[in-house]
Amino acid sequence: MGPLSVNELISENTNLFLAFIIGIGFGFVLEQSGFSSSRKLAGVFYGYDTVVLKVFFTAAITAMLGLLFFSLFGWVDLNLVYVNPTYLTSAIIGGMIMGVGFIIGGYCPGTSFCGVSIGKIDAFVFIGGLFLGVLIFGLGYNIWDGMYLAKFLGSPKISTTLGLSDGVFAFLLIIIALVMFRVAEWAEKKFPREQY
Amino acid sequence: MKPLRLLALFIIPMGLIIAAVPQNKTKPYKLTADQLLGEANARTQYVAPEIVADMIVKKDPSFQLIDVRNQDEFEKFSLPGAINIPVSDLLSDKHTDILNQDIKMNIFYSNGTITANEAWMVTRQLSYKNNFVPEGGLNYWFDAILNPQKPASTSPDEEFAKYDFRLSAGKALGGGLTVQTNQNQSSASSKPALQSAPKKKKAAGGC
Amino acid sequence: MVNSKESKKTKYLNPYVGGVLLGIVLLAANFVSGRGLGASGAIKSVVVTSMTTIAPSASEKSGFIKEFTASHSGNPMKTWLVFEMLGVLVGGFFSGVLAGRVKLKVEHSPKITSRKRLFLALTGGVLFGFGSQLGRGCTSGSALSGMAVLSLGGFITMMAIFGTAYAFAYLFRKNWI
Repeated sequence: MGPLSVNELISENTNLFLAFIIGIGFGFVLEQSGFSSSRKLAGVFYGYDTVVLKVFFTAAITAMLGLLFFSLFGWVDLNLVYVNPTYLTSAIIGGMIMGVGFIIGGYCPGTSFCGVSIGKIDAFVFIGGLFLGVLIFGLGYNIWDGMYLAKFLGSPKISTTLGLSDGVFAFLLIIIALVMFRVAEWAEKKFPREQY
Repeated sequence: MKPLRLLALFIIPMGLIIAAVPQNKTKPYKLTADQLLGEANARTQYVAPEIVADMIVKKDPSFQLIDVRNQDEFEKFSLPGAINIPVSDLLSDKHTDILNQDIKMNIFYSNGTITANEAWMVTRQLSYKNNFVPEGGLNYWFDAILNPQKPASTSPDEEFAKYDFRLSAGKALGGGLTVQTNQNQSSASSKPALQSAPKKKKAAGGC
Repeated sequence: MVNSKESKKTKYLNPYVGGVLLGIVLLAANFVSGRGLGASGAIKSVVVTSMTTIAPSASEKSGFIKEFTASHSGNPMKTWLVFEMLGVLVGGFFSGVLAGRVKLKVEHSPKITSRKRLFLALTGGVLFGFGSQLGRGCTSGSALSGMAVLSLGGFITMMAIFGTAYAFAYLFRKNWI
């Protein structure tokens, strides 16, 4: 049955409209959880606010479990769901650059839109920066396209790479996430900050 | 701590279940009995043997010949480039990728049409696409293509055209039963590697 | 900006509840469209549109544009991500109104000035924008959505983002705490 768009059960325009609706849900939940505040977002790196960790990993394991159960019930064909490809070199280097950008800017693209939606001027400037960053990448594409396309491994799953089944890996991740949450709660007690 | 405890309480059993249950690999969508009967009655799966012969001669890449008889019969004689998937083996995992795709036409053949039709029915039930059966099967193939009968002189032109085509196709395909033994060796050694066809359209994503 | 007035508590969702809800949104995206959430791709659409509008002939030769059009035919702004991000603006605004958080301001630690904060936001944005192209996604597209489908590439990018941010956290601590 699912994914609806790939199985052509909905038209492309319906798909785009639903993207808009899903976006509303995305923005709403993000803002409700506090992701519109760069100070809350940066807090995970200093221990005073671990909302990023909790929301991120809870969402990942919820969606992961959801997809696996949907597949179990035959509601979705996992072979048709997009799995991000792995380009080893650019995945690591891109991630590192983003990491520096995150700790300096305090936002990521999704949360910056969230910040803009409630009037945060620094979020707006961040988006301006995003535009410039992407533009620089595009203009100088020939310089780094070698790195960008290097070490393409296809679209492997973590579970396959580790030799585990999807379900077993999901379970392991759940345990790891729960342990991390425990540590996060301890950290928040240890490094309290005023509300902002 | 309470929300965390609640979360853990709910999510750990779910994780255990999903870890314990074997992965679901079957395709959910299937045809209904009505749909299958309708298709069988419409005889949409049949294709004229001339068309198949033409495709073999032209080395058309858009099809794959699948011999659904058992291995012995396959080794005695098979159409050029055919792969052997005995009908009893049709549902095994190793052939899924070859059969379940919509890039190449699957042309199932057997001596007559009964076994080939069995293969067609089964794969259609699994909602595989592009499955065909040549009319009359191999028996008709021998008579029509490899040993074509010269039409009577009073027959219409198209019969002659058909005859000429069959003659040349038959020659190209090694014509006549006598060449069978040679074909035997070559078909045994030149069995094409079973490749898996690429999957159909996927969602785009990323960023 | 006087801090004592700003620090009245504003109500946020419990993070675990928020996480479950976000997971449900992500699940919906995968069920409906066969893909996860994302954000940086929408910026890419805007950049591509700008490049092709301002310098159409030069853009034709650009490897960047060619890579984009190889996977997107038609108008570069008519993509899943652009529509999604428009939705994010609406959803975020709606949530902000509900919680009374809509206000035009520059949010920053009391230890730095507004101007510094804006400068940092710009710098961070440029770095993040560039990195998101290399990493083929940001935290939403690569890390979060990647994890949900067990993608190895997504996982690696996620580790790189968070690991590097933690590594540099001490260096930039004065801007936050």
